[in-house]
Parts: sequence; C-alpha cells; structure tokens
Amino acid sequence: MPPTRVRESTQQGRRAAGELESEVLATLWAAGRPLTPGEVRRAVADPPAYNTILTILLRLHDKGLVERQSSGRSHTYRPTTAHAELAAERMRTLLSSSDPAAVLQRFVASLSASEESALRRLLKKR
Amino acid sequence: MRISVYLPLFLSALCAAASPLLVRTLPPASAARGLAAGAATLAAASTVSLALLACTLAGYAPFVAEHGHWSSEALEGHDPVPAAVSVLAIAALLLGIAALRGTVLRRTRGVRMARAICRQCHQGGGELLVLADATPRAFAVPGRPGFIVASAGMLQVLDSSERRVLLAHERSHLQHHHHRWQLLADVAAALNPMLCFLRRDVAFALERWADEEAAAVVGDRDLAARSLARAALATFGSPSCAAGLAFERLEVTRRVAALQRAQPPPRPLLACAPILGSGLAAAAVIDAATQLYRLALMAFAGSSA
Repeated sequence: MPPTRVRESTQQGRRAAGELESEVLATLWAAGRPLTPGEVRRAVADPPAYNTILTILLRLHDKGLVERQSSGRSHTYRPTTAHAELAAERMRTLLSSSDPAAVLQRFVASLSASEESALRRLLKKR
Repeated sequence: MRISVYLPLFLSALCAAASPLLVRTLPPASAARGLAAGAATLAAASTVSLALLACTLAGYAPFVAEHGHWSSEALEGHDPVPAAVSVLAIAALLLGIAALRGTVLRRTRGVRMARAICRQCHQGGGELLVLADATPRAFAVPGRPGFIVASAGMLQVLDSSERRVLLAHERSHLQHHHHRWQLLADVAAALNPMLCFLRRDVAFALERWADEEAAAVVGDRDLAARSLARAALATFGSPSCAAGLAFERLEVTRRVAALQRAQPPPRPLLACAPILGSGLAAAAVIDAATQLYRLALMAFAGSSA
C-alpha cells in the first residue's frame, strides 16, 4: 500500500480535506457531549459549508471514529472511545517506561513562576 | 598534519559557541537545517581527525613496524603527533562510537514503539489520533504516514482557532520531517561532545519553525502565541505533567515572544556560515589524511634503506 502523505496545508482559509477532518474530530472530542452537524459547524474555526461538515461526519462515521444517535429530527455525533482509550493506556505506559524525550525527540523544560505569570498576563490581555 | 588534523575539532567548538547567535538571528528553518547539517559534517570530520590521530600510534608499535616493513624511527622523526594524543584520540573514538550506538538505538526504538501504538489504535486513515486522556498532551509521531497525537484534555483546553494552531504546528513537524534534522544533531553530539548544546538549539529552532508555519496557516501570529501560551499553562498546571509534550514544553516564553515580534528576515550570508565551516573541516581532514599517507610512504621508504 503506498504511503499516504500528509496533505499540504494551504494558506489561511482553504484547508485540505484531511485537515478539516482532523479539526472536526478534534472539535467532537473537545465538546464532551454529542453535537449536531450545525453545532459542529459553529464550533469549527472558519467554518466551511454545512454540507461539507455533514460529508466529513459521515466519512468519520464510516471509519468508525464517531457514533451517530438520533435526536429528534436530526442526528447527534460523538467520537468513539474504544481505540482512544487503548491508545491512551499504551502511550502512558510507553512514556512512563522509557525516556519520554527520546520517544518524542523533544526536550523537557520547566516553566518558572515568573514565566507562568508572564504567560497568564498575555492571555488576560485578550 | 599538525594544524589541519586539529582544525575540525576547533571548528566544532566554534560552531557550538556560535549556534545560539545563529538561532537568534536566522529564520528558524535556515537555523535548524544549517546547524543540524553543519554539526553532522563537523562531527564526521572530527571523527576522521580522531581516527587519523589514532592511526599515528599504530606507526610507533614495533610489531607493526616489523610486519608493515615500516621504519618507526623514520616516522618518529617526522610525526608531530605525540603518543599520548593518539591514545586520547582512541579513547574518544571508542566513547563516540558507544554514544552513537546508544543514541540511535534509544531514539529509533522509542519512535518505533510510538508508531506501533498509533498503527494499532488508529482507525481508517487520517492524521489525528486522539488519546482518551485528561492530561493535556500533544506531539507528532513521524513515519509513513506520520501521526498527530493529541489527548482529549489538550483539545478541551483550547478553543477552535487554537486547536487549528496546534494541528498546524504538529503537521509542520511531520511535513518537514523535523525528526530527521533532530536525529542528525543527536548523532553529531554523540560523536563529538563539544556539539552537545547544539541538540537543544536545533530542537528549539525546529519548534520555532513549526510555530511560524502554524502562524502562517492561521494568518495570525498573536493567535499562535496565545495558543502556545494556553497549551503550556495547561500542561504545567496538570498533575502528571512529566511527559508527552512537544507543542508547549520547550522554551515557551521565548517562543511566545518571538511570535509577538516580526519574523526574522532571511540572512543569506549568515546562513552560509555552517556550510563554510563544514567545507573548511572537510578540506582540513583531506589535507591531514594526505599528509599521513605521505608520512607512511616515507616510513616505508626509510625501512628499505
């Protein structure tokens, strides 16, 4: 099977289909409750057309990544958790057993109290 | 031989000293690639230097002189490398090879295991794998294909625009194969400990590179700065914040500050510095090797007298 490439992201506004799919999935996980397609659309940054959101939700459903429930006249969607829980458990084990920086090829640094307050100030400014 | 064999070692020290400046002034992509590639070349050159220094010791040994029909007296007259230096070089070489093996094994093993987890738990294609975990965590797992791994906790902390920044940041790591540049720097540091601080500089430059890409994708540097700040505070605030971070852990305040300033302009002259240094080191090594070869010829000629 040929390797699937991560799609090139284009400049602001237009997103590749794969990127939009990730955003929709991320939105569903962030919501913590089942969402209708309309709610998903409102929760996505720079929302695309309603039908695009619907197509993506159906695609995610086909892949087994989201569950669909009837709610009145429409459906609500929420992510499936089985594989996510398995992944969480395995990753936790991996990161605690071996050197996390080696796994992630990153350095671990700490945040001093002054740095922390500087960051909080930045967020308050908004 | 006297100067040229030591030149790569000297240039390595110079590179290590100059790298913070390069990271500060160059655009992050140039800095990351230039430093990683430059460090790797310098490490290769300095390893060859050590090998050449080690070789000269062999020339002294009587049994080699017998079997190789060399004249060790003739060698001694011309060879400016003291035996002690050769011994040190051998020790350094052995340490370097052991460190290299340890580094490469550790790095690749960890990534391979992460990749295996992603493949097992991942469904249906697509770049994102979510962990059902409240601890805020996000990182990229390189491979074919690569994965963006993010915990539910991280996704919940950020709003929709900030999630876009996070995904764009990790995607940038995958698209530009940042792990390869980091591995180059790690290999260089293993072979030549003078370059050890370069690893951190390259890691920082790679994060900055991904930060700038994410800011360009969403078209808002302030948003990128806020997203980074929020993710970092969430990670540090959570109880088990020991592991699993890429997006927010490394030198966050410097990165946030850089996003609030204008992008560093390209500086083609300065960007050439690592290339120049590498070229110089390579030339020095070739020169030293040639001199050693001539010395060996001379010793051989001396023995037949």
